[in-house]
Amino acid sequence: MLDYKAPLRDIRFVYYELFDSASLTRLPGFEEASQELVMDVLGEMARFCDGVLRPLNAPGDQEGCHFDAGVVRTPVGFPAAYKQFREGGWTGVVARPEYGGQGLPHIMSVLLTEMMCSSNLSFAMITALTNGAYSALDHHATPELKRKFVPKLVDGTWAATMCLTEPQAGTDLGLVRMKAVATDEIDDGGRAWKLTGSKIFISGGEHDLTENIVHLVLARLPDAPPGIKGISLFVIPKLREAGGKLIPNGVTCGAIEHKMGIKASPTCVINFDGALGYLVGEPHKGMKGMFTFMNGARLHVGVQGLALAEAASQAAVKFARERLQGRSLSGKKSTGGDADPILVHPDVRRMLLTMRAFSEGARALTAWTALEIDHAESDPDKARAEEGDDFASLLTPVVKAFQTDLGFEMTNLAVQVFGGYGFCVDYGVEQLVRDCRITQIYEGTNGVQALDLVGRKLPAHTGRYLRRFFHPVQEFLEAEAANTELAEFVGPVAKAFERLQRATGWITQESLKNPDEAGAASTDYLHLFGYVSLGFLWARMAKVALSALSPEGSRGKGKEELAFYTAKVATARFYMQRLLPRSGSHFAALMAGGSSLMNFPDESF
Amino acid sequence: MGATSPIRKVGVLGSGVMGAGIAAQVANAGIPVILLDIVKEGGTSRSALAIEALERLQSVKPAAFMSAARSRLVTPGNLEDDLGRLADCDWIIEAVLERVDVKQKVYRAVDSVRKAGAIVSSNTSTIPLATLLEGLPESFAADFLITHFFNPPRYMRLLELVAGPATRPEATAAIRDFCDIRLGKSVVVCRDTPAFIANRIGTYWIEAAVREAFAGGLTVEETDAIAGKPFGFPKTGVFGLLDLVGIDLGPHVAKSLLATLPANDRYRAVHAESVFISRMIESGLVGRKGKGGFYRLDGSGGRKVKQAIDLVTGEYREIRESQLASSRQGGSNGARGFSKGQAMRAVLESPDRGGRFAWKFLSQTLLYALEVAPQIAVDLSSIDEAMRAGFSWKWGPFELLDELGPAWFAAGLAAEGLPVPALLTAVRAGTFYRVEGGRLQQFSLDGSGGYVEVARRPGALLLADVKRAGPPVSKNGSAALWDLGDGVLCLEFTSKMNALDDAILRMVRKAISLVEGESFKALVIANDGENFSVGANIGLVLFAANVALWPVIEASLYEGQQAFKALKYAPFPVVGAPSGMALGGGCEILLHCDAVQAHAETYMGLVEVGVGLVPGWGGCKELATRWATNRERPGGAMPGVAKSFETISTARVSASADEARELLFLRSTDDITMNRDRLLADAKTKALALVAAGYTPPAEVAISLPGASAKAALDMAVAGFRASGAATPHDVVVAARLATVLTGGETDITESLSEEDLLTLERESFLALVRTPATLARIERMLDTGKALRN
Repeated sequence: MLDYKAPLRDIRFVYYELFDSASLTRLPGFEEASQELVMDVLGEMARFCDGVLRPLNAPGDQEGCHFDAGVVRTPVGFPAAYKQFREGGWTGVVARPEYGGQGLPHIMSVLLTEMMCSSNLSFAMITALTNGAYSALDHHATPELKRKFVPKLVDGTWAATMCLTEPQAGTDLGLVRMKAVATDEIDDGGRAWKLTGSKIFISGGEHDLTENIVHLVLARLPDAPPGIKGISLFVIPKLREAGGKLIPNGVTCGAIEHKMGIKASPTCVINFDGALGYLVGEPHKGMKGMFTFMNGARLHVGVQGLALAEAASQAAVKFARERLQGRSLSGKKSTGGDADPILVHPDVRRMLLTMRAFSEGARALTAWTALEIDHAESDPDKARAEEGDDFASLLTPVVKAFQTDLGFEMTNLAVQVFGGYGFCVDYGVEQLVRDCRITQIYEGTNGVQALDLVGRKLPAHTGRYLRRFFHPVQEFLEAEAANTELAEFVGPVAKAFERLQRATGWITQESLKNPDEAGAASTDYLHLFGYVSLGFLWARMAKVALSALSPEGSRGKGKEELAFYTAKVATARFYMQRLLPRSGSHFAALMAGGSSLMNFPDESF
Repeated sequence: MGATSPIRKVGVLGSGVMGAGIAAQVANAGIPVILLDIVKEGGTSRSALAIEALERLQSVKPAAFMSAARSRLVTPGNLEDDLGRLADCDWIIEAVLERVDVKQKVYRAVDSVRKAGAIVSSNTSTIPLATLLEGLPESFAADFLITHFFNPPRYMRLLELVAGPATRPEATAAIRDFCDIRLGKSVVVCRDTPAFIANRIGTYWIEAAVREAFAGGLTVEETDAIAGKPFGFPKTGVFGLLDLVGIDLGPHVAKSLLATLPANDRYRAVHAESVFISRMIESGLVGRKGKGGFYRLDGSGGRKVKQAIDLVTGEYREIRESQLASSRQGGSNGARGFSKGQAMRAVLESPDRGGRFAWKFLSQTLLYALEVAPQIAVDLSSIDEAMRAGFSWKWGPFELLDELGPAWFAAGLAAEGLPVPALLTAVRAGTFYRVEGGRLQQFSLDGSGGYVEVARRPGALLLADVKRAGPPVSKNGSAALWDLGDGVLCLEFTSKMNALDDAILRMVRKAISLVEGESFKALVIANDGENFSVGANIGLVLFAANVALWPVIEASLYEGQQAFKALKYAPFPVVGAPSGMALGGGCEILLHCDAVQAHAETYMGLVEVGVGLVPGWGGCKELATRWATNRERPGGAMPGVAKSFETISTARVSASADEARELLFLRSTDDITMNRDRLLADAKTKALALVAAGYTPPAEVAISLPGASAKAALDMAVAGFRASGAATPHDVVVAARLATVLTGGETDITESLSEEDLLTLERESFLALVRTPATLARIERMLDTGKALRN
């Protein structure tokens, strides 16, 4: 079993010291989210993860899911774990109290999610989809539909999925063929529609954890215009209510996939054969509801990248302390034994610090984004809510793609630190690599995220979304320009930030002339954006830590606390010197333009 | 022509919408007008009709007079007591009821008082000249012609002119020149046939579209989405256009056409009265002037909702954007890489009902134009010009045919079993227009199968013609330089909406160095666009601001200031030639020109406050200097400062070139051209006159401004507007920054300020404002909706 401890101290740092999350209690609905309550809930989840989820992770991976004549069984222990999860009230953490939820802020939910994903990604997947469905229904469904479905999702009696993909319609959802025909039947959910078609790659499409599963499904009405503007959103239960009983509704699981990772999460083919469902939102405007779902889901996938990196980082540090091989290049560091722990080797330290600097930085970026979503959804100040929404729109593709691309790199580094043992199943780190690989693909491949960033988010409202990120950074850099203590952090960030500004302007101009330029620049641009974001947050974290270490700030702090802040500053330094320079290569690559990609003859591939 | 014109006083008979509008436009030309109508018995005055018409003219929107002073040139009267006042008129325009008997009665009365050789013309829209003259003496016929204006006479450029066989050529020439040069009209000579050119084809076009829309089961919105923008027709579409002109007008025009058109005219065969439309007219649904039309604004639910009428049920319902694939082909907007013609053909070939509709109404309209062309016009370009200038088509029927390809169209007609008109057969695989030796030629109507030149009138010069004649001297993505001949270089903006950007500033620099290099003697800044320039590209400013590229914004401010200053002090004359809107940066570049030759319809303004900014390319500097050095102003520094502050802080835009003078956007030495087509030639002439007079650049002036005390006074005034609710919170912020610039910043009246001092103040204020979220919100709203945000 992998060693992992929920990073509660760092979470507290991000939540209360870096961001003023305490101020969230001023927003309606969050009045109760005091620091005590928040830390209690986080601590409770840490215990649940440690006691229930983590022990199931490796066995679940090895056993996988079982499919037999339409019935899907999750690995041993999963149903019991889900029962505990549900009884612990974890299914409705962010849901509003009127539905029986706890109404906690998103920033808290992402931190809880991180712990769950670090402990058992397959399990976390199933519950996260239900949260996404909740939010899509909450935003777009009629009151009748909400009454019918939402409370059961919130209390976890039912689970949910999102059914988008069809064999011919993956990234391009405009190609969806699933058919919906209106019926004359009207019940407590409104008019019933008859849906026919087949969906693939449905996570949690069928399982034995809940009594029923609710599918959010994209389909086409008979008079739908072609393409993406003719897609409608439906909610279809696996079993429908009739006379107080749940009866089959023409929804069956045709098969499950055999996959590289997240093996304990069933990935299903779901067939709808005249299944009865309800329209969510307006006809042909289904993508609107689906985007609400997907934005939440994309942020969640970004958290997965961070979570697996954190788990990898912790495992690698423990191994590097214990594994004795060779002597330090600069003379032996330990007296006993024949060898030093590999922790002494510069290249091992490089790997460990890379994992650490990424994980802590990504945690801060994730939390910032979630905090802005909280403002977007709950701030009574309209302008502030718009700022939050703009920010989340801009950063969601960055969080999703940057954090999963780097998450994958980090899990790989852990295997490298483990050496040959890392390649063996028993040590658990190879599972992290396999589990992480899908995060770069699902909920929109990372290439699609990069296109979303340059094609939609950059030009939106002539760059207004950008303002929500660029202005705070610029203001921080201006305010700290003369702060000598912070100069080693502010200087590199200012330089990288200027690259980001120039790249942003360049892409905007070039893509007007040739849209392929935006596509060619997109992934490098997204990574440049990611490194600058983390750089800015590391500079801010260094500032917070330095002030905690100042004569005034350090008063009354124990040894452990001082070590925490000292490590923060040191990690910030590492980030500036050893990771932020990557922004330069991404900048150079994207500014070279797309001609070397586009001029290569197709037939020569 | 000016003082030598034989027309120094004009009489207008009939003070309806057309007569009154014509009188106003004559007054706009600076000519006194007598406006007469029948006696209104029981009115406050026997001339009540004309007096009321004059009052309406002063308040009508869009304005009929170019400035308030012009209205004083119109003298109202009545046709009984004041007939004698026509005795010294050189031209008498009849614009009374569209009835031959009524008109002839007026002619007889006029004939009894007019002086020898005074010209009489009718503004009839449908009645042939021969009919009007039946029974009238030859002496009258010699001085009589038809001058058909379009509504509103100030703004619609078309004037159809019909001379009879007896009309004196000198009379025709005098009216043609006067209408062209003094009234600014595009004069199209028509043959004497019913409804002349524009209404003949335009009526057919509207009826064909309406008829086919009903037949094809299209909605109002679908029809307008196709029979509008895709083919360069007014973007209102036909139903929107009918709402605008009045749905009840149609039956009158139809009646008149049916009474006068030749027996075999295609119009007779296809015209059918629409029961649906008759019922609308009966219920008062005659368009915007009535209770609603094909569209209406419904305010019954509290907020205003735009509705359209259902062409089956006759009920109004909320407007629904067309979902037809054919209406999304883009038409004349053409997708990237497609020609306009390809894009139009894509609409016409769409398999849906929109595509079928498009082909039906357009093929019929073009077929009709092809058939009647030789009867109604002397050449094809007259027809195209009439449709552009009279019906606001972007392209006339023959230009449209050239875009589509005459051979393609002929094949389409043949496939439908429709007759292929002789003119279309004659042009074969060719086009109706061609460029030969750099000059535009048109297919001749004389049946020879040859081409004749599209002639411009003496004194008319179009940049389009210059462009056809040869390549530009220089060109980049937003501007070009053209050789106008005689040593005059022309700077043309080519960016979207002629918005000013870095590339244009680079071209300004290039123009200066080219003229300085002695290859040229003078520079004219002009373009063929609808608007001279809508100002700086604020999209670029907003984007740079959003990513906090403040140094880039500052650099572009500085470069604009220096480039414009270089124009002002260049060792050769620079003449600006604006038409339409010259706003923001577009106004600022004109303020730096040595002279301006403005089209009468020029709307100048420093409108930056609308987007939360102050003019930053020397606009504040120039206007402040003009008011500070204005010799006509009453004593003291404050009145001038107050004037420039008022003009800029309220984003005042002149309603005409005339009014731009009052605002000092134009100086007394600047000139006005009435006819758009003459603007470039007049500007060139003016530039060469400056060269001939031994041009020397102006000396840099230092001015004194009153500083903080004056700023305090302006701030106080703004605080008053804020208190009364006339100013918004951000208005106060912007006005304070503007006041700092216009009062000279940290100065007082004993000090003198250089131009650079004022430019520095402009930059400081601009940069401070562009960092405020409220300003960015204003820019964003302007870009997203075209409307100002009042925050």
